Amino acid sequence: MSTNAKVDYQAEKGGYYKVLIGLLILTTITFIQPSMFLTDATFVVQLLIGLIKAIIILFYYMHLKGETLIGWTVSFAVFIVIFFFSIVIYDVNNFQYVDESHISSATTSAGSPTAGHHSASSESSHTTSEHTSGASHEATHSEH
Amino acid sequence: MSDHAYVPEIATTRDGVEHEVQGWQGDFYGGKLGFWLFMLTEVLMFGAMFMVLTYYFTLHHQDYIDASASLNRVLGGFNTVVLLISALTMGLGLLKFRSGDVKGAKLMIWATIFFASLFLGVKAIEWSLEFHHGVFLGLDALQSGNAHSKPFGQILFFGMYFTMTGLHGFHIIIGIGLMLWLLKRINANKVTTDHHILYWNIALYWDLVHLIWVFVFPYFYMIGADAGGYNLPDIGSLFGGHNNEH
Repeated sequence: MSTNAKVDYQAEKGGYYKVLIGLLILTTITFIQPSMFLTDATFVVQLLIGLIKAIIILFYYMHLKGETLIGWTVSFAVFIVIFFFSIVIYDVNNFQYVDESHISSATTSAGSPTAGHHSASSESSHTTSEHTSGASHEATHSEH
Repeated sequence: MSDHAYVPEIATTRDGVEHEVQGWQGDFYGGKLGFWLFMLTEVLMFGAMFMVLTYYFTLHHQDYIDASASLNRVLGGFNTVVLLISALTMGLGLLKFRSGDVKGAKLMIWATIFFASLFLGVKAIEWSLEFHHGVFLGLDALQSGNAHSKPFGQILFFGMYFTMTGLHGFHIIIGIGLMLWLLKRINANKVTTDHHILYWNIALYWDLVHLIWVFVFPYFYMIGADAGGYNLPDIGSLFGGHNNEH
């Protein structure tokens, strides 16, 4: 695709405005969806709308339409991101280290509804909170 | 002719036929491909951050919904539209430039800089409001183990929120710098209608910044939208007014 050639502004500007209108409609749907439809699947719907917007931007604003080599390169990068995403999603759905992990434990959160759970939690969990911060260490001991 | 005008090198074959030597200045496709490779590294960087976000979201589902519900969707949505229009002005500017309308293109670049600055201004107001509500990096609400601590999942959410919107804002600032540089290059006749790869790539960069926001916005602002109302911005609190609980 030759992109370093002269273009006719009047002939091509219409495409940009059409894309703008399309993106504005999708943005409006983004806003009304959580209170209007498919409210049980907000997260998935929102990301799907984002995906459609991204494809429109890539194809028309970023001129990817008709670009074979760059198109495949982008596809490969997106594939890598999705591949690692899939591994992470699988991993986190089978998370085995709730009592030991810094990111899953509620032990350091005094305001957490599950903070009380820590008082009866295992020794390893207690050790984790000690690593997290001195303040949390003191708070934990005051709970005991 | 300007001192900086591109002067092609001519090679002559033994038959006396002249050919223009294609230096890097004329390799439009190579310049574009190289910039796409750079942008893919950006995609991988933000992709990794979205991966962390998804990981935390799965582990602390309800905390994420609650934290998202407390964000200001009016200001976030306004910024979404601002970026959308800025992508249009950038695209139309490039189109004008390629059609030979240099003055019109420069006006469009200034318009894009205006919208980019507006985005940063609104983002600054939003962060200030959050600071006034006690939600900011380093404040008690986002430190674990004290009486004001938010639930652990919300601390993770806001940590990612400030990190990712901050990094995105940094890209906006870089973009403004690039556009100012582009204007300087156009004025110096170093970027011309025949050799506009720099303009093309900066337009691509701006679209990438827009593209990242297309995912940042729903992931942070909208996943908890059905859990809370549409928060109107409490601008008055910035000037010593009443502070609502965020």
